[in-house]
Amino acid sequence: MTTVRRLPRSPSEKFMNTVAGFDPDSLLRSCWCWCFVRVDELLRFVQAGEEAAAAGEELEPLFDYKRVQPTIKFRFDDTDLEKADIFKHCNKRPRAAAAAAEEEGKADEKGAAAKVVDIEEEDWLLPPPPKAAFKPSAEDSALRELRLKKQELAKFAESAHDILQELDATTKKEIGSKEPPEQIIIDEEPEPQVEIAREKIVISIQDKDGRQHIRVYKDEKFDKLLKVYAKKAKLNPSDLAFVFDGEKINLSSTPEDLDLEDDDMIEVCHKRR
Amino acid sequence: MSGGIARGRLAEERKAWRKNHPHGFVAKPETLADGTVNLMIWHCTIPGKQGTDWEGGYFPLTLHFSEDYPSKPPKCKFPQGFFHPNVYPSGTVCLSILNEDSGWRPAITVKQILVGIQDLLDQPNPADPAQTDGYHLFIQDPTEYKRRVKLQAKQYPALV
Repeated sequence: MTTVRRLPRSPSEKFMNTVAGFDPDSLLRSCWCWCFVRVDELLRFVQAGEEAAAAGEELEPLFDYKRVQPTIKFRFDDTDLEKADIFKHCNKRPRAAAAAAEEEGKADEKGAAAKVVDIEEEDWLLPPPPKAAFKPSAEDSALRELRLKKQELAKFAESAHDILQELDATTKKEIGSKEPPEQIIIDEEPEPQVEIAREKIVISIQDKDGRQHIRVYKDEKFDKLLKVYAKKAKLNPSDLAFVFDGEKINLSSTPEDLDLEDDDMIEVCHKRR
Repeated sequence: MSGGIARGRLAEERKAWRKNHPHGFVAKPETLADGTVNLMIWHCTIPGKQGTDWEGGYFPLTLHFSEDYPSKPPKCKFPQGFFHPNVYPSGTVCLSILNEDSGWRPAITVKQILVGIQDLLDQPNPADPAQTDGYHLFIQDPTEYKRRVKLQAKQYPALV
């Protein structure tokens, strides 16, 4: 598409295109610039008579960019201005001129001319810089994507690293926090169990002859109590049974299981043979 | 109000019982299926006195307290058809201390009631019969009466 671009044939056409593409102000300004700068050059070209036929028309030299390439100087002169809206068409000219120089030989094709006009119009409506920039931008987008992905990956790697570090820290902390209590528990285990957890109550054990008070751990099984009692009473433990509230006490239970309170009384029964 | 008094008194009774009670006796408030305790009904056991024909028997007795307790005595019931001259066919014990109009005093404790009934087992009061079967045998056929008492004691062996 871009290579096919050609200059319009006639100056009037060119002029019309110029007018159609730009607001009068910018057109005027640019026109005057060229006029003043290039007057002597134009005169020289005219004198050399390089293209006498083409020079026949008054406005031809002004718009024949094949010979006169004012924008090059403008470009070098002032890049800021060059980028400005008013010089959009200038930026296009050199390439258009080059294309015109290339294809001047086959300028006779009418269909092509028609095509050219279309293209030219298109060009004026949609200036090439955006078009030219389109590919790079597309490339850029691909690059950008790649860059973004790379960044993402980098971030991900970083975050993963962070997470690992965090995990490390937390596990260290946990281990650190776990160890001391464990040690404390190990150190103090016997004491609190005796002093706090192992509550003692005094219960009375009643048999036919009377009753005696015995201090027992609330969480100690009656099994042990029965053995102690049987030893004291010089009786066989298997002949005895503890009774509370008319029910035989399971020897694997504890005073706590039966909700025994201080001074509660249990009875001893002698099993009959 | 009176219900509150009854329950408060019964809670105290229960507390005292747990700390001390005569050997072989059981007295505990009813425990309902959901685990709550009904202080108004107590399930008790009275052991037959040693050295009597009642020895070896552990007789179940239920105490029904009213909201008027301790102004009024509890109704004490053995199982229906219990063999004893002073026990009604329904099982209700007829005892002077359990009679609101004669011997009952609010100060009488559950322990005293149960011990009183234990005494009554071996010492029936012929002046105040409550059933014909037990009363007639006790008066007319002491041997048969003795046999029936021993038989009944075997019917209620120790639970343990």
